[in-house]
Amino acid sequence: MSSRIEVALVKRLPGFTLDAVWSAGEEVVVLFGPSGAGKTLTLQCFAGLVDPDSGKIVVNGRTFFDSDRGMNLPPQARRLGYVFQGYALFPHLTVAENVAFGLRSLPRTRRIVRTGETLERLGISELARRYPHELSGGQQQRVALGRALAVDPEILLLDEPLSALDAPTRRQLRSDLMSVIREWGKTAVLVTHDLAEAFQIADRLVVYQNGRVVQTAPKGEILQRPATKDVARLMGIRNILQGSVVKATPDLIQLRWRDELLEAANSPTLAYTGSPGTPITFCIRPEYIRLIRKDRSEPTPGTHPNLLRGELIGEEDQGPVQTLYLRLDASGEPSQGAHDLEIDVPRQVYEILEISRDRRWAVFVNRGSIQVLPGV
Amino acid sequence: MSPESLSALFLSVRVAAVATFLNALIGIPLAWVLARRRFWGRSFLDLAVTLPLVLPPTVTGYYLIVVLGRRGWLGAPLHALTGWTVAFTWYAAVIAATVMALPLLVRTARAAIEAVDRDLEKAAYTLGRSEWRTALEVTLPLARNGILAGLVLAFGRALGEFGATLMLAGNIPGRTTTVPLAIYTAVQTGETEEAVLLVAALTALSCVVLILAGRLGARAT
Repeated sequence: MSSRIEVALVKRLPGFTLDAVWSAGEEVVVLFGPSGAGKTLTLQCFAGLVDPDSGKIVVNGRTFFDSDRGMNLPPQARRLGYVFQGYALFPHLTVAENVAFGLRSLPRTRRIVRTGETLERLGISELARRYPHELSGGQQQRVALGRALAVDPEILLLDEPLSALDAPTRRQLRSDLMSVIREWGKTAVLVTHDLAEAFQIADRLVVYQNGRVVQTAPKGEILQRPATKDVARLMGIRNILQGSVVKATPDLIQLRWRDELLEAANSPTLAYTGSPGTPITFCIRPEYIRLIRKDRSEPTPGTHPNLLRGELIGEEDQGPVQTLYLRLDASGEPSQGAHDLEIDVPRQVYEILEISRDRRWAVFVNRGSIQVLPGV
Repeated sequence: MSPESLSALFLSVRVAAVATFLNALIGIPLAWVLARRRFWGRSFLDLAVTLPLVLPPTVTGYYLIVVLGRRGWLGAPLHALTGWTVAFTWYAAVIAATVMALPLLVRTARAAIEAVDRDLEKAAYTLGRSEWRTALEVTLPLARNGILAGLVLAFGRALGEFGATLMLAGNIPGRTTTVPLAIYTAVQTGETEEAVLLVAALTALSCVVLILAGRLGARAT
């Protein structure tokens, strides 16, 4: 059962103001954004650990906070499960005592039974008598989840639940965490600044920037229609470019960019209808820009759509891929500082084509790989 | 050791023990309040508690007389009501030792409480615990070693208290003459042997106290 959540918060701190409005009805809501954007503060307001200056928090019709009506439920009465960043397990209590901590109101026998059930469902029964410092990061996370879920909360709040783990464990635990949340069937609000994590876990994304919510949408929609360039950038979209419309037909958009004429695919779902001369924002994912081998026949616009020529002015080693910075031959200012396009090539291709020696290249982009961002 | 010296030794230990108990009673809640609550007059309270640490003990003793002496703010009404005054009694020695030891406990315990991760307290709140229960079940147990170290230090301080005790309790053999006062008297009257014995006893006791406090302090981190 997913819960209906409505949040509107204003909280002024020295040097920072949180002014966040969002609502959600999905099962897993991810608050995504860079560090210091106000995500954790939102979660703490949600749990009643920080009092907002004004606003409203309603979950399934239950009002947690409403400054207009002078309502402010204490954290003890909100029935939330909170998984803290770093887990905040009680170091002086065993795993079983940690999990049982929220069950004090239950009679002793029921408390023991519920604790046992919770440990079992999470597969950590054999850890019951251990202390938190004797556990691995993954085990600690399980205990933190167990402690929060044992009280049968209406909603589960998780603050960067994976950031305390090292990279290889994180990937494994991400899917573990997902299955726990889905299995328990609780609505979860999760904070993260990790894009991959956000995408794997979220049904709905709430994007934060500088204390404000810049977009709220189902995750697929955010990639298709980022509301602003900032959102697009936060979503990891690179090569966000600005051009102007030459002609838009139901299946093709012609646009001018840096003296070049580009063609992007139009579609019934996109249904872009900008009139000639309208500014248009589009993006090209760096891995979709293709270098043209020089040992083959001369490229033509017929075989190679959106053909561009230029010089590599820099590169960055990302490990498995190499990022190249291309500056077009076209006159005028480059569109992204010193370069026009970022291009990702696999390391193997980089070595075979001897890109480190050869700096002049022709590239092409398929029409379907130029994505128009209509909201921007 | 003479019977007078022995009685001073017992008196000292008794006074220090009671003063330490009172310290626990007053000092631990005080340390928690100073560490965790923001309220009007907090810095004044902090100042008042800490002051005996830096003031000459005789000055602290003088203030105690101003408050508790027969003509003091509290002492005068008490005397009018009961005909009894706390000055120059065993209780006066306890009060002087308590006030002098309090800053040591409060400062040590407060630091230990402040070192407890606030997220642990917040976690307890979301799990239904009141602020008060959280202090008892989470904060104080986790600050335990620091608090115990503070209590041991307070005991040591109470054991060696001289100036404030002399001001408020006087130097009445068998009643208010604690070891430090007895040493002073012995030296003044030329009973060097007695003085040496008492000095040795107090030094040994203080060493034990410091070693204990050091161990507890080390475990606190």
